[in-house]
Amino acid sequence: MAEVRKRRGRIQIILDADERAALVMIVGQLAPSLGQVRPTVPVAYDDPEFQAEYDRWVRPEIERSREADLDVIRDCIGSGEDVTVLTEEQALAWARGLNLLRITAGGIMGVEKDGWEQQADDAVRRSPEFRVLLALGLIQEELIAVLEG
Amino acid sequence: MAPSTAQPPAPAETPIEAPAGSEHTVRDPGWDVLVWNDPITLMSYVVLVFRRLFGYDFETATKLMLQVHHEGKAVVATQPREQAEVSVSRLHGFGLQATMGRG
Repeated sequence: MAEVRKRRGRIQIILDADERAALVMIVGQLAPSLGQVRPTVPVAYDDPEFQAEYDRWVRPEIERSREADLDVIRDCIGSGEDVTVLTEEQALAWARGLNLLRITAGGIMGVEKDGWEQQADDAVRRSPEFRVLLALGLIQEELIAVLEG
Repeated sequence: MAPSTAQPPAPAETPIEAPAGSEHTVRDPGWDVLVWNDPITLMSYVVLVFRRLFGYDFETATKLMLQVHHEGKAVVATQPREQAEVSVSRLHGFGLQATMGRG
């Protein structure tokens, strides 16, 4: 099972071949929806004029940084290695990237209220997006624990 | 926000940015940086982001996260407009729902 650990100050993420293959598929399927699904659209202002400026000058940089975070994940899962050593900045990029993928999946599912995990019916629980949310959340929790540890 | 099973708190790390609120002037009372609740983002992740971006200690970051969770939103910083916009853009980079408005 996927694991994140810290050994002698070095952060390691351990993913077997099946987990890496699953992540390749997840990133490939969700990344195109990033910035398209409502929760992933960066809205800073109520004022339409200010927001238009933000979209013009700031949003492109946000999108570049998000793509760079996903590239860190892609590089890792495409390495062919079970164990990858991450710098702290790369681990943060993983945490950001996983969060973006999760809110994209949640947006596709139409999740709008807290408690969605408990309230999900059997059909929802069987959906790929639901499983993706839980699986990515577990890896993200491990990353956060290491980053905060 | 989604519940976390995060580990116990660790000592605060070196912040990426200085805490907010140190640049208030009479002419620029500041813009509030607001973070809004979303049902997907993990609570532990929100705490991590607040600590990393604003340099808050674990207790302050957790208090703000819980305010977001229970009240739907929280003002996490009040800063001059340009600085607030940078903060909001970085929060967006982390995938949080953040907006800004005149304080």
